[in-house]
Amino acid sequence: MSHDDHHAVVVPAPGPEFVPHEVAHHFSTPVQEFQSGKLGFWLFLATEILLFGGLFAAYFYFHEVYPETFRVGGQQLDWRLGALNTSVLLLSSWTMAMGVRSAQTSQKSKTLMFLGLTVLGAAIFMVIKFFEYKAKNEHGLIVFSELFRPFIENPDGTGSLAWFQDYHGVMAGVPHGHMFFAIYLTMTAIHGLHVVIGAGLIIWIMFGTAKGRFHAGYFMPVDLVGLYWHLVDLIWIFLFPLLYLVP
Amino acid sequence: MSDTATATDAHDAHGHGELEMGHIHVSSAAMFFKVLVALLFLTFITVAVSRFDFGSMNMLIAMAIACVKASLVIAFFMHVKWDTAINKIVFLGSFLFLALLFVFTLADLLTRRLDHEMHTIKSPVDKEWVQPKPQADGNH
Repeated sequence: MSHDDHHAVVVPAPGPEFVPHEVAHHFSTPVQEFQSGKLGFWLFLATEILLFGGLFAAYFYFHEVYPETFRVGGQQLDWRLGALNTSVLLLSSWTMAMGVRSAQTSQKSKTLMFLGLTVLGAAIFMVIKFFEYKAKNEHGLIVFSELFRPFIENPDGTGSLAWFQDYHGVMAGVPHGHMFFAIYLTMTAIHGLHVVIGAGLIIWIMFGTAKGRFHAGYFMPVDLVGLYWHLVDLIWIFLFPLLYLVP
Repeated sequence: MSDTATATDAHDAHGHGELEMGHIHVSSAAMFFKVLVALLFLTFITVAVSRFDFGSMNMLIAMAIACVKASLVIAFFMHVKWDTAINKIVFLGSFLFLALLFVFTLADLLTRRLDHEMHTIKSPVDKEWVQPKPQADGNH
């Protein structure tokens, strides 16, 4: 048994439709490679939890300060669309889990099918989100074209936000109506960005799957993208009741 | 000759005798489906309980259900239940630090006067922010 460092460790392909996996040269075994990759990804997901955690802290703080603003603000969102999107994400989380499982068991066509369904779920989610944003834009609750305009000082000394016009005055009776929509937009837009990135990663993984790169001996990329997708679902599980059913 | 690692571990191969990645747990499809049904059911419960007014308890109830749903996703979909101790510590540890953030934020909130004074928190759209109100007791 030679211990020649220059010889790559190779995980053989489980069938003709797969390709062997060459373990990266700085790892000794496929299991070490897998566990290192996974630990790194869990660390990244921990930072994601803290990123969204700060936004949730802001939500809870201002919800406590302006409970009426949040109650009335939440009523401007359609909970049915929120519940539909929750179900879409939960279903796509399930198809993702099944996709990872199919990769772990070297079922290439099933992996492709489940990953494709997950991307479909991501697309449906973003289409619904687009129509929700469109309605908010039409009601002047989030004027998207004015999002990056600075705070405007009125001649009478008061200030106003260009992106919050509230054409129908639905938030007129509560203090700082813009607070709810600022938090709603920040949280759902960063979450939506994760949905788009996640869908892109899944499509990338589908190319690798089609080439036969992922099988029982090597499925780490599928597993890690799966974890990312489940995190997206995890965040939405909290966003849905907090934003659409403001308690 | 080159090292050829097959990473076969017959103990944990759940009926898939071929190449298994060491001690990786492959969950059954039936379990994943049960978790999905539970998550959808809990979503329905979330909407249903929001219809009732339990006062300040609504928030606790909604967050308790969300935490149960999150636990299901983390334990089963994310396989944390079968993951290594170090990965569990890293990921679940992040929630500990999140709790720290929440505790100190809450401490700030609870030590303020929760009355009309709260509305004088400086915001760019407050009139006071642009034109400070004259002091009630005149000059200092």
